[in-house]
Amino acid sequence: MKPYELVIDHEACWGCRTCEVACKQEFSTAPGVQLLYVTELSGPDESGREQFSFRVNVCRHCDDPPCVDSCPESAISQRDDGIVVLDEEACSGCRSCIDSCPYGAIAFDEQDGVARKCNLCHKRVDNGLVPACADNVCLAHCIYFGDRESVENQRNSRVGRK
Amino acid sequence: MGRFKVSNIEREMEVYGYDSVVKSHCRMCHGGCGVLVYTKNGKAVKIAGDPDCPINHGTLCSKGLASLQLAYHPDRLKYPVRRVGAKGSNRWERISWDEALDTIGGKINAYKAEFGAESIAMGYGTGRENESVIYRFANLLGTPNVLTAGHFCYGPRLATSIITCGSNPIVDYENHPKCIMVWGNNVVISNPDEYKGESFSVSLDRGAKLIVVDPRMTRMASRADVWLQLRPGTDTALALGMANVIVEEGLYDKEFIANHVHGWEPFVARVKQYSTDRVAEITGVPAGKIREAARLYATTKPAGIQWGVAIEQQINCADNDRALMTLMGITGNIDVPGGQVLFKTPNIRKVSSFGAHKRLSPEQAAKRLGGERFRLADKFSILNPKCVWDAINTEKPYPVKMIFMISSNPVLSRANGEEVRRALSKLDFFTVCDFFITPTAEYADIVLPSATWLEMDYIGDYWKRHGYILPRRKVIQVGECLPDHEILNALAKKVGQEEDWWDTFEGGLDYILEPMGITFQDFKKMDYIRGEVAYRKYLDKGFSTPTGKFELYSTLLEKWGYDPLPQFKEPPESPVSTPERAGRYPYTLITGRRIPGFFHTENRQLPWMRELHRDPVVEIHPETAAKEGISEGQWVVVESPRGKIRQRAKLFSGLAPDVVSAEHGWWFPEEQGPGYGWNKSNVNVLIDNSFENCDPAMGATHIRSLLCKIYPETENE
Repeated sequence: MKPYELVIDHEACWGCRTCEVACKQEFSTAPGVQLLYVTELSGPDESGREQFSFRVNVCRHCDDPPCVDSCPESAISQRDDGIVVLDEEACSGCRSCIDSCPYGAIAFDEQDGVARKCNLCHKRVDNGLVPACADNVCLAHCIYFGDRESVENQRNSRVGRK
Repeated sequence: MGRFKVSNIEREMEVYGYDSVVKSHCRMCHGGCGVLVYTKNGKAVKIAGDPDCPINHGTLCSKGLASLQLAYHPDRLKYPVRRVGAKGSNRWERISWDEALDTIGGKINAYKAEFGAESIAMGYGTGRENESVIYRFANLLGTPNVLTAGHFCYGPRLATSIITCGSNPIVDYENHPKCIMVWGNNVVISNPDEYKGESFSVSLDRGAKLIVVDPRMTRMASRADVWLQLRPGTDTALALGMANVIVEEGLYDKEFIANHVHGWEPFVARVKQYSTDRVAEITGVPAGKIREAARLYATTKPAGIQWGVAIEQQINCADNDRALMTLMGITGNIDVPGGQVLFKTPNIRKVSSFGAHKRLSPEQAAKRLGGERFRLADKFSILNPKCVWDAINTEKPYPVKMIFMISSNPVLSRANGEEVRRALSKLDFFTVCDFFITPTAEYADIVLPSATWLEMDYIGDYWKRHGYILPRRKVIQVGECLPDHEILNALAKKVGQEEDWWDTFEGGLDYILEPMGITFQDFKKMDYIRGEVAYRKYLDKGFSTPTGKFELYSTLLEKWGYDPLPQFKEPPESPVSTPERAGRYPYTLITGRRIPGFFHTENRQLPWMRELHRDPVVEIHPETAAKEGISEGQWVVVESPRGKIRQRAKLFSGLAPDVVSAEHGWWFPEEQGPGYGWNKSNVNVLIDNSFENCDPAMGATHIRSLLCKIYPETENE
């Protein structure tokens, strides 16, 4: 089992987009380069009732990440703890990883000519800090971080809705 | 979380090698959230929420996190400037603070001597916690004219709640309401006063029932147990229709009504005029849904109504507020835990006392522009802005020669921007305090550089009604910028007010805190102070109204010549009131939905905020878009009988097909002056500001619904 996970409760997300800005504050990525972004979903559900909700899109740190295999420079690797890290120094800008990602979670930085993705704030995590987007930033408290059990506990302590 | 802990301040300091962390209080909206500011080498470098703050519990919004992009923005005005070109030409020269304040003070003294103090209007935009400081200056000067957003933003909630039950009833999220009715308020995106979206969100996650009243589907509406998608502008009718159900079905609080309300019988007679069938016809909400919502709200206790500004920017402003208060009252949700509480402010000098309202002579107060027309507003020292533009343009009933305005951009934020510009062009002398040169500041003679919240000491939430005050602590200095209250403190000495002000405004902060026996330096050592928490205070003291009761029937409105009971008025421009015009302008335009990252006209310069939202967006139902030949993302023209603007179309099925929703506050700082594209996408260009389009008691301009047409922009547009 992975020692930690990022879990997003989309039912709770209000689309306040504070997570996007927290990520910007942490990494100062160039305009248009988003390691995490929020999208909208609208339209009728199966019962015909109109729905409107948000999805936070960010690297899933897949168990078997296609981006790792796709990179000709071996710039992307998966650590033992499951975090998939893109080394921007080693990136040649070929964009293979962007094509391989099924979630659209890898960005391209035109300015520096390299791909960028969420490395799950591995430097923060290694230093015992929670990733920027999950560090008690959004008013919905909808991004959780920790091991599976602690995420479950955190969520259960907060959510009484069915 | 095992070894991980959120908001881990100590570890954050170690890992990033920050020099210090300062607890302060954000003011990217009206203020309200506790903040941590991390510093390194004398600069603020990271913003985070303060986990110990009882308002936001460590969370923040996108604007708060972007505070440093505001404070350190390269375009910030960093010293006083004087205009050197024609008005609106955007040509400036640097001057010293001494010269600026001497010049402004000299003008004030000269206009007061020649035309009377009333010829000088003071002003601010959305309240930045300086309200009482500006009123203090104005009242001591002797001018009754303070130009604010108070006629249609928060001022109505204060005025109507004070006359109804003595204070503004705030939803008591700390005690988790079991039912929340959100009425025209996107509390999780907007800038709510008192408690913020976090507290609402937590109560909802704990299982509160949710009713949402909104013409537009928000995420809240999508999550709601009942969503009432009303026709824009019909809120009073809907509220009275719900009251009718509660009365007819006996769901009201009989004990509270027997002992603590005034005017039950006439109120019952009034709500009987609002049968669910009639209300369904007016509002477009099915009768069954009106009954379902009324029952859910009245029988799930405690319950709170989360309201906001949308219902106030309407011709029914005061009646909307009053109608919702009657729902709180008849269900007995007033001043109970988890309901809506009349919180007590800590024992500090009251806002009204600091504002020195009693120092304004009755003779001068009687000169307040529009005071005889908008009598509820007048009683709360509030005026309708058109009264000031008219006094400049027509010099009647007397000329306004000078405006001193703080953090306000009325060219964008008030209806009929063209008339605002005409008035500012004619104005003799105009001073603006702001962060940037704005389309309004371009008309100023002198612009003074305002400090952001990071650059000031203050008593945060001094004017709020949730019972908390929180210290705002100065972290940095940028250029020669000064906090607005320091500017007023310095200017006061140029106009003969020395005795009523202080060496620096810290003296004023000490004066505010004096009744508690502490100084600002003492307060800075605390996290916050909360007033005494007590519920059902009316059992001992009654309500602070003329009758001592919760006034369903307002004796004060009656005395001032208004209907003492809420009633619905059809909006002045709608398919019902102006059907002929609706033939040419077939859609109802609603305005001002809240966007993460912006606060009215602010933050269009901040890269992170513009990245969230690049262009002004008008939402339109896909069926309507197809009919008008409009596709997703296309620039379209939105036209009213008064003008036209361009915004980008977004197809959205969360609106009725005959309703279109446009954004407000848009200008384009990146275009550079003059003008900054002030009229390209500014929705207020489309809106009528005539007195017929205003609430007769409060003077609120009806800006939230009007008629429009919408069509694709062509190349020669």
